[in-house]
Amino acid sequence: MTVFISGGCKNGKSTIAEDCCLALAKGGPLYYIATMQAYDDEDRLRIKRHQKSREGKNFITLEQPTDLLECLKSSDPENGTYILDSVTALLINEMYSPDRPDADPQAGERTAKALEDFAKSVKNAVFVSDFIYSGAEKYNEYTVQYQKALALCDRTLARCCDAVAEISGGIPTMYKGELPL
Amino acid sequence: MELVTGGAFQGKLDYAVKKYALLESEICECTEDADPDFSAVCLTHYERYVMRCLREGTAPKTSFGGTYCCVDGVCGYTGGEGGHGPLVIIMDDIFCGVVPADPELRAWRELCGRTLTALAQNAEEVTRVFCGIPKKIK
Repeated sequence: MTVFISGGCKNGKSTIAEDCCLALAKGGPLYYIATMQAYDDEDRLRIKRHQKSREGKNFITLEQPTDLLECLKSSDPENGTYILDSVTALLINEMYSPDRPDADPQAGERTAKALEDFAKSVKNAVFVSDFIYSGAEKYNEYTVQYQKALALCDRTLARCCDAVAEISGGIPTMYKGELPL
Repeated sequence: MELVTGGAFQGKLDYAVKKYALLESEICECTEDADPDFSAVCLTHYERYVMRCLREGTAPKTSFGGTYCCVDGVCGYTGGEGGHGPLVIIMDDIFCGVVPADPELRAWRELCGRTLTALAQNAEEVTRVFCGIPKKIK
């Protein structure tokens, strides 16, 4: 089963996503795809906080900041349950890198394709994204380019996943299917 | 009238085009510089027209004479004294984010919220599109 979760920040998306994974795994291997690249102390603190919240849940960590499909080689997709938290971080890594000054214009389509292929290749997966589309600020073209690319990833996942939920205040609103809870 | 809302780039117009088999010529994209063609079948980016109203000091239009109806994908309007109104109005929910520092954007954000609420009251149907998936909320 595949699940797509989005919503506002600090609204309980990760907790619900991890609970979905535990419910889906049924004794099979549980994989946490770690997408975040630490650039400063704030990032390192954030990563530590996430690691602490996963303690005792028996996740095997797969470090995969880019090229998502690569982690299938070092894991067991036929039996595994994967959590990708988050699509947002994966896309940032695909779009920007310290050695290129501009955003990669192909990153959106490439990442959306990889996500769809990944969803079709594994037994269970839960994808977490961020809903960043409802502000009044007039963003610069780079931010809008990023929003469009993330929207493509989100819409691709919403189309191909079995369940789609928006989390608000820790409460899921279903747009498709049911959560495995 | 059906009101369609949701975040930017979520597939709101795609949803309306598919549902009502809209032609490009039937869609009016609102701008901040001129009033939209209210006789168009579909008005999109209504939030831009709200910005125009804010700058002009006028009240955004939220009710329309007569209504369109759509049966089996074929659209027509019921008429009415004031001509007909749009079949679909699409508006970004730009009021969900952080309060902007810029006073004009702050006022725009609030006026958009009030406009959407008034439109929703006058709409037969309200749909929110989330990541390409429509959800009927009225």
